[in-house]
Parts: sequence; structure tokens; C-alpha cells
Amino acid sequence: MTRLRRSDVRPPPFEEVAHTADRALRIRGGDWPELFANAARGLNSLMAAHAPEPTLMREIALEAIDLESLLVAWLSELAFQAETDALLFTRFEFRRLTVDALNALAHGGRAARIDRHVKAVTFHGLSIAPEAAGWVTTVVFDV
Amino acid sequence: MVNLRDIIRIDRYLWEVPTSFRPDMRVPARVYADEALVAQAMGDRSLEQLVNTATLPGVVAHVLAMPDMHQGYGFPIGGVVATELPDGVISPGGVGYDINCGVRLLASRLEFGEVEPHLDALATALQAHCPSGVGQGGRVRLKPADMDAVLETGARWAIRQGFGSEADLERTEEGGCLPGADAATVSARARERGRDQAGTLGAGNHFIEVDRVDRVLDEAAARRFGLFEGQVVAQIHCGSRGLGHQVCTDYVGSFQRAVRTYGIDLPDRELVCAPLSSPEGRAYLAAMTGAANYAFANRQILAALIRRSFEQVLAGKVKRHELFQVYDIAHNMARVETHVVDGTPRELCVHRKGATRAFGPGSDAVPGVYRDIGQPVLVPGSMGTSSWVLVGTEGSMTQTFGSTCHGAGRTMSRHHAKRAVQGPGLRRELEGRGIRVRAGSMAGLAEEAPAAYKDVDRVVAVVHGAGIARPVARLTPAAVIKG
Repeated sequence: MTRLRRSDVRPPPFEEVAHTADRALRIRGGDWPELFANAARGLNSLMAAHAPEPTLMREIALEAIDLESLLVAWLSELAFQAETDALLFTRFEFRRLTVDALNALAHGGRAARIDRHVKAVTFHGLSIAPEAAGWVTTVVFDV
Repeated sequence: MVNLRDIIRIDRYLWEVPTSFRPDMRVPARVYADEALVAQAMGDRSLEQLVNTATLPGVVAHVLAMPDMHQGYGFPIGGVVATELPDGVISPGGVGYDINCGVRLLASRLEFGEVEPHLDALATALQAHCPSGVGQGGRVRLKPADMDAVLETGARWAIRQGFGSEADLERTEEGGCLPGADAATVSARARERGRDQAGTLGAGNHFIEVDRVDRVLDEAAARRFGLFEGQVVAQIHCGSRGLGHQVCTDYVGSFQRAVRTYGIDLPDRELVCAPLSSPEGRAYLAAMTGAANYAFANRQILAALIRRSFEQVLAGKVKRHELFQVYDIAHNMARVETHVVDGTPRELCVHRKGATRAFGPGSDAVPGVYRDIGQPVLVPGSMGTSSWVLVGTEGSMTQTFGSTCHGAGRTMSRHHAKRAVQGPGLRRELEGRGIRVRAGSMAGLAEEAPAAYKDVDRVVAVVHGAGIARPVARLTPAAVIKG
């Protein structure tokens, strides 16, 4: 049997980390589009147990003052869609993703059940930083 | 990080981090706590956050944390910060995402023994009548003109729709309708989130409870509030729902630019702010006020639905099933108030984030029915533990800009609580103690386990000992309804 080395094991795209009052996710991605996509899937995991099959598509275009603000705006948009229309998005095509703007096609569907709304995506301790395998950030969600 | 050696003990329940701790502090940071609560505060970033608030432009006297403090966003929960007009700043982080999260207390004229045989049915009716609004909307759907009216007239709008009476407004902070709201400063997105959430409870730590007054500590004040030992009462804990959350999100976002415009350097992005004299600052205050009015309307509608539940279950079975209002308070808010600082009355923007007004006797802002004794202060405990009714004091006016604690304060993350506590087991334990539980989510229930919170009795003992509120009555839960 071949033993896995620590270096063979990729960290998860997102994982929950402790936060006193709310929910926090550590999110990783090889590049910014993957980071933003994994952040979206992490957000989904806070809101519903099961993501729907993609049956519809929405274009999302956002601008912000910097990359961290852009991530907050991105996740806030997705949280808004979930809260108001029960839409969850699982697949993304980023046509543009710069330090202060994005344009993406988001594929998703209507969730059978939303278990929890996310009140807000916060800037608490937010920093998008490079690491060996790409990029990492921790986002705190007010639930 | 703030360590114990950085804190000076001023009094039995008062501690201070002096401005010498960090060069960017404009005023000292004060904490109301006993020794154990101070030690607990070292376990998260709440003290560091409090020190950060002392750097805000225009901050006066001292920044404060109440004994239920814990880590928040920008400001700690339990934080009280006053900035001076005209150019002192207003910060959305000093109010919180749930603008006008607060508590309403309704009271019956019934003894617990008269209601106990019907508690199961009452808990079921409350859950049925009072929707959480998670996954589906409530029964009240606001058209655009209605939304404007809610934002600008708050609980008054709800009264006009038949949810309650003027007597409720006489016993609501600021009459349930704050002046200065401007519907135009509330975004379309916030309106959309709030459109079908009026009259919904939400989830997380929001709840409706049926309680028993199990101890009266101040007979005279209790009589004035209409409370007696053994009485059945009901509490609502909720806020401005998605509308308020979005208002805060909108302005935390737009203030990221404002701080650059006004050259404000901050240690934490969630502290973003703008001078109250600026267009940005005025817009946020007007939008925040609108969201606060939405929350007053929300609790007014829920109160009517609770009354409907009591009527449905108890009418004909008890002599008087009607509920009257004791009071309604906000514990996430910023208000422009006048307070005496260094002997001079000054116009201040007082941010209370997880802190409650506790205005003392004679204050003009206390409704006429209570002005001679001071306002009621409603302090909900964690699920399954005591809640408290306090009264405001002169001490709070001189020490804390008329402020006191708001609840129990978290000590354990939701993530940890879900691992440490099983929702069904917790429910069985509470029901074993005679507390009926109706919850939309077992995971949500576990997150709200009493073990995840500080001891509210200890928190109340500190504010009493410090003279910034006085206990009137203790409530113990009989039924808990959670989203």
C-alpha cells in the first residue's frame, strides 16, 4: 500500500474554523477564480445541507475598492440571492476577476430548503494572502 | 493583545486600560466586570476591539464595555462609545448588523398555575403564529408605500394596521418611532430583504419565551411595571431582520471609501466610519433610524401574534388572557443624546452595540408612565436560564452615558457548541426541567446552549454593584420558541 505523504494531501477548499459568536470559513484556491468559487461553495454549506443541480444562470458584475471588498461584495450578492429567491450557485465562469472588479456567470438552482440565512459577510480580520499552493483567506459570517 | 498587567482596577467592578497602553488611543477604555469576567474577556479579542474603538475621531471621555462583553465586528458586543457632534464619527460597526435588535416584554394578569396546564398548546400556537421567516416569508408582505411608512413611522405603522394599540407605544423606547429616518437612504436591496420579513422572528439567538416571574427584588418598581411574583409574562428578542443587516452591509461597504475621503486611519476595517456632519454620516444615521423603526414595527407585529396565540389557547379557560406591554428596548443602536461630560452638557452620538439604555429617574427620554422611577431595562438570559428586568439609575447617567448590559454574552463559538452539545439531548434536558421547546433547527438549538454563554446572574450582579442598573425582577423560562 502506498502511504500518502503530508505533501500529497491537499487542504480542503473550505473548512469551518472557530469564532465566538458566528461562523468562520478558511477558504483556499489555486488562483483568484478558484478562491472565489470555493468561497461561494463554503457559503452554500452554511445555508443549506444540499445544493441544487444547476438549472439556471445569472450574470454577476461587481466593483469594489479592493480585493477583500470585492470578495465581501461577491459573497453578499450570493447570500442575498439565497435569502430572497432561495437560489444557490455551484458552478462559476469568471469572465473577469481583477483586484477591484469581477464579471461572472453563476450556474445554480432553487434550493429545496434553505436552513439558515446569512445575515452578513463581514470584514472581520479579512485578508486574502498568498500561500504555497495559491491563495487563502478566512471569512467571518454574521449568522 | 491586552493582558491583565495592562488593566488598572479602579473599583470593585470597574477596570481601565489607560491611554498609555497604545499611542493611537484618544481616551481610556473602561470595562465593567468582576475578576472572573475580566479573565474571560482575555479569551477573545473583545478587549483589543474595545481599545480600537478608543481611536475613533471625536470619541469622548472613555469607551466602555459591559460585563457581558464578547468579540464582535469592529466594536465588541457590550460596547458603548460616544462621539461628539458635529464632526465626531458615526460607525455602523458600533450599532451592529442587526440594527435595533432588542427585547419586548409583555405581561399577563395570570398566575403561572393557571397557565401551566396549557403550556404545551401555547408553545405550539406561538410557533405556528410567529414565523421564523427562514426559508419562507412571514404573513405581512410590504408594498413599496408600506415599506416607506414602516421605515419612517415604525411601530406606529403597525398600530395603524391593527397590530396593537397606542398603549403599547407609550411603553416603547422612543414611542417605537424614531424621528430622522429617511426612506430614500435605505437601498432597494435592503427593502427587498425586508419585504416579507415583517412580523418574523429570525433565527440564531432570537426567540420568543413564555416566562414566570420567579423573584421580585424591588417591590415598588415591580408594581409600577405591572409585575408580581408568580406572574406569566412573554418576551420577544429580535431585530430588523434582513433589512437591517443589509443597511449595515451597504454602509460598511460604502464607508470603506469614506474613511479614505476623510483621512481616517483605523486599526480594523469593521470600524469604518464617517463624520456625522458629512453626507455619508448623515445618510447612514437616517438609514439606521429607518431600520430601527422597521425593528420596532417587527416586534409590534410579533406582539400582536403572541396576543393572538394567548387568545386562541387560553380564552374561556382562564379569567383574563390579555397581555399588556411592560416595555420594549433596543440594544443595538446609535442615538444623538445630551450627556454631561466634565460638568458640561454635550451633544453626543452614543453607540450601544449589545448594550441597553438605562436612563434613570427624571430623564425626559423615559416615557411619562415611568419617568419618576427610571426606564425598565430588559436583559434576556441564554436559553433555559433566567432573564432579568432591571431599572435605570442615576448612576448610569453619570458613569456610562445612560447604558448597561444587554444579556449574557457568548463564551463558546457556534461551531464548538454544535460539537459539544446535541440539540435533541438539550431539548430533552430542557423539557425535563419543565421548559417546553419549539425549535426550527436542532443544530440551531445546540448553538444556543446555555453552556455557550456567560452567567447572566453574574452579569446583572456586576451592573447592580456598579450602580448602572438595579434589579427589579427575575424571570424563569417555561416555554422557548426559536426559529
